[in-house]
Amino acid sequence: MPRPQRSPITFTIDGRDVVAPEGTMLADAAKVGDVEIPVFCYEPKLGAPVGACRMCLVEVEGIPKLQTACSTPVKDGMVVNTTAPKVKAAQESVLEFLLVNHPLDCPVCDKGGECPLQDISYGWGRGLSRVAEPKRHFTKPLELSPLIAIDRERCILCYRCVRFSQEVAEDHQLVFLERGADTYVGTFDSHPYVAPFSGNIIELCPVGALTSRPYRFRARPWDIEGGGTVCTLCPGQCNVTHTVRDERVLRTLSRENDAVDDGWLCDKGRFSYQAATAPERLQQPLVRDADGNLQPASWDDALDRAASILRASGERTAAIAGGRTLNEEGYLLQRLLRDQLSSPHLESRIAPGPSRELLAALHAPALQATVPDLEFAHHVLLLDIEPQEAAPILELRLRKGARRLGTKLSVAGPRPSALDPRAQHVLRYAPGGNEGFLKALAAALEGGDVSGPAAAAGIDAAAVSGLADTLKAAGEDRVILYSDALLSGPGADESARALLRIAAALSLSGEDGAGSGGAGLLGIPATTNGRGLREAGVLPDAGPGLRAVAHPGRDLPGIAEGLAGSELDALIALGVDPIADLQGRAAWRQALGASHLIAVSSFLTEGVAGYAAVVFPQEAPAEQEGTLTHPDGRVQRARPAVRRPDGIRSGWWVLAQLAARLGDRTTLHTAGMAFAELTAEVPFLAGLTLDEIGGKGVRWPTLAEAATWPKGTTDLEPQTDATVVPPANGALRLARQSSPWRIPEVAASKALRFLVPSADARLAPADAERLGITEGSPVALSVDGTEISATARLDSRIPAGTVVAQAGVPGGGADELGGAAAGGIGLVEVRSA
Amino acid sequence: MTPAPEHDSYFIERGPEPGGTGAVGRAFGETLRGLKTTFGRLVEGPTTVQYPEEKIPVYPRFRGRHRLHRFEDTGLEKCVGCSLCAAACPADCIRVVAAENTPDHRVSGGERYAAVYEINMSRCIFCGYCELACPFDAITMGNDFELADYTRSDLIFTKEMLLAEPLERTPLRAEGE
Ligand code: SF4
Ligand code: SF4
Ligand code: SF4
Ligand code: SF4
Ligand code: FES
Repeated sequence: MPRPQRSPITFTIDGRDVVAPEGTMLADAAKVGDVEIPVFCYEPKLGAPVGACRMCLVEVEGIPKLQTACSTPVKDGMVVNTTAPKVKAAQESVLEFLLVNHPLDCPVCDKGGECPLQDISYGWGRGLSRVAEPKRHFTKPLELSPLIAIDRERCILCYRCVRFSQEVAEDHQLVFLERGADTYVGTFDSHPYVAPFSGNIIELCPVGALTSRPYRFRARPWDIEGGGTVCTLCPGQCNVTHTVRDERVLRTLSRENDAVDDGWLCDKGRFSYQAATAPERLQQPLVRDADGNLQPASWDDALDRAASILRASGERTAAIAGGRTLNEEGYLLQRLLRDQLSSPHLESRIAPGPSRELLAALHAPALQATVPDLEFAHHVLLLDIEPQEAAPILELRLRKGARRLGTKLSVAGPRPSALDPRAQHVLRYAPGGNEGFLKALAAALEGGDVSGPAAAAGIDAAAVSGLADTLKAAGEDRVILYSDALLSGPGADESARALLRIAAALSLSGEDGAGSGGAGLLGIPATTNGRGLREAGVLPDAGPGLRAVAHPGRDLPGIAEGLAGSELDALIALGVDPIADLQGRAAWRQALGASHLIAVSSFLTEGVAGYAAVVFPQEAPAEQEGTLTHPDGRVQRARPAVRRPDGIRSGWWVLAQLAARLGDRTTLHTAGMAFAELTAEVPFLAGLTLDEIGGKGVRWPTLAEAATWPKGTTDLEPQTDATVVPPANGALRLARQSSPWRIPEVAASKALRFLVPSADARLAPADAERLGITEGSPVALSVDGTEISATARLDSRIPAGTVVAQAGVPGGGADELGGAAAGGIGLVEVRSA
Repeated sequence: MTPAPEHDSYFIERGPEPGGTGAVGRAFGETLRGLKTTFGRLVEGPTTVQYPEEKIPVYPRFRGRHRLHRFEDTGLEKCVGCSLCAAACPADCIRVVAAENTPDHRVSGGERYAAVYEINMSRCIFCGYCELACPFDAITMGNDFELADYTRSDLIFTKEMLLAEPLERTPLRAEGE
């Protein structure tokens, strides 16, 4: 969909001629002329203005009554007056009216000092109150949710929070209850307002009615400093500002970047700063002693020990990077392995994915869609992705496009998604049917045989054809949003080829000059910096810049096998816990049991606590320094907002020290030097400096250097028939659901702990009836003798024959079900326990 | 006499020539004049204040060491930890960390209280802005001026020190004194 173009017009405000884009609201246009119009309810991020507070009244020549500047678009030749006595009287009256029932709470109110009501009363109010009557009172403060406190006396009924809940997050929970002076914000039935994006209403509220419980009374605006960086907890990479007092992060606010986050954050990014000061966070290196216990050690001892392990294992070393690992760390890790240890066994994905040539084709700059493209597209197809899990912030972007611009959505995957109700087509194929589904869709678009691959994926061919017809008929700006999971497992290469054929059939590539360049593919990796790590060369078959390597290394199952056998001796796990984060737990337990693990981690998760020979403590997100790459190619800077605790060192430093102990002669003194080395090695980042990246990031696919991106494969013909998903035969097909709250940072944050997922198994009511399972009853899921217990949840959106089990829960959950199920295709026995 | 600018000469005014009887008389006279002051003060009695045994009473609005106050009836602290004093302080020497009152741990009258309240007296310039800023009259400037100590860190006064009654009170000048 073409972006709206606005031609400049001239209007007069307070006697000054001002040029502003046509159609902007007066409240915004006035700023161009240096005139400030006070507003409370107006917030462009929330969509169309509602004119609820009447604070913004101005006089427009030719209109007898005062107009609300927030909802009056400017027109050419408009004459506006914001200083007329009539306007002044209106402003004073509105403020007086708002303050009639407003408590004199400023000294105890958390908003004090950064409160628009204070500022506007000071700037535009009467300065004297004529109201001597008693004010109306409410019980306060109340818990709106475990994260948010509500003080209903302070609410000025501006509708911002309610609009956020109804129109942005679309969780439809917040409403106004009662009428008149008794109106208050709440949820129906007073249940807690728990939603993935609930924290945004704290930042939206123009008064101290909604305040953060974890931040409650912690600091005043004059006590604090802001540290701008990037949230490194998911690939969404939202821009944030940490509020810092006494070298501690006390709050996280959004740092609006329209190209990334649109000014919102999810609750994970907003509240998990607490994990940095949690007692369970590692604060010093640990080394396993002769009795098998992890003991605190000095940095020198830990580095020496790790170096001696690596020296002994040499080319029998493997390395996996993930989690919050930055580009520099990824680059240094692959250099350590390839140059110092001559080992090619590197991986940064959580499951084997497509080959180098296919990755190059999938991420080709011409085929790359951006985050704003999701909003302005004619049609967005979501393939095996639940945005709320993969990168929560994208869900808000998709909802925004669908609600405000009429962007059409279609969802295909083995599991239900929160966006299903918004979707034009909802296609549910069997878990493990990715390859078949993609081949069927490619065939439907190209006019080939649909029914074969569709049957292999366990989906109705007509549904696939219907989706294909819609996509063909949609406007040219079509975006496909997919997750790593779509292209993982044994059929990864075949799936990737099919996806590229789909992209070609829809001419998503900007190369042929079709469309407005708003079409393309957007793949969301499973870990925060998945894309950056790939480009830094943390792949078994690709070096920095995705260049070919002479001797490709092993893939993940290969690494696990090698470690369990005698082909590999040591594993470096940078920011990942092989057992907690990778698939096939049983295999990894065996692998780690037979080898040496050197881990960089913030917490003692299962694999680290149980198997690591050396553990280096990792920096918290607010302490990290370096760069990371957004899934759409935007290189962003992570800048430290607080000092590292004394016992903690940067990841790049640890890797540089290890390399030095293994004979590397280059010296690195700063993260910036590591970045310079990375840009020297990666042709499409050549010449990029930290200054250029700045606070908003730079999308490298838009740079001239993008021409050096390696050519991807052009041979897209399917090489095998689609893998057939086995018939359920009384058992159920296992799909895993990975909650956004599964990361250890959530469990370590006091405020967020209540969100840690519990072991749920969701299944279709028909299956439940057949198996004699009722809602909420305990069930046992077993595969090849491994059994986990879960709580049954009946969900009519799940097709019969599938069970969706929660992964990443304390004690394992779906991750424990190893074997074939680890790759996605597997049958699981479900019975009532 | 002012020398005229165009002349290169100037005049010297001299006192009487030293020596001679006139000089003896003058010296004696001047000595007597001085002794008059001495004897005159002698009858007034001593003016030296034997500090620290004795102290000069200060005026009621003298701005000495701060004090924090409690409500007399409930015993709750008046300070709600709003940090307004810290904002007003031009020397940036007040540190307030607030916390929330709970039903079983109520410290102040409002929703919040000052969990940490510190004034660094070595930086305080005794301007009294904190007193002016405080919306609850929780902090006032007291009369104490004896603040010397051996280490700088001892000059950081905590909430407990500021709430406590000062040990030795500086005498206050009575009305009209
Ligand atoms: S919302 Fe603003 S005006 Fe109202 S009590 Fe709080 S700080 Fe004061
Ligand atoms: S709680 Fe805040 S955001 Fe919500 S209506 Fe009241 S003042 Fe507006
Ligand atoms: S969506 Fe992702 S990047 Fe954004 S705040 Fe949430 S966790 Fe952080
Ligand atoms: S002394 Fe007064 S101004 Fe200072 S924090 Fe306490 S209540 Fe606020
Ligand atoms: S800002 Fe215009 S009516 Fe509220």
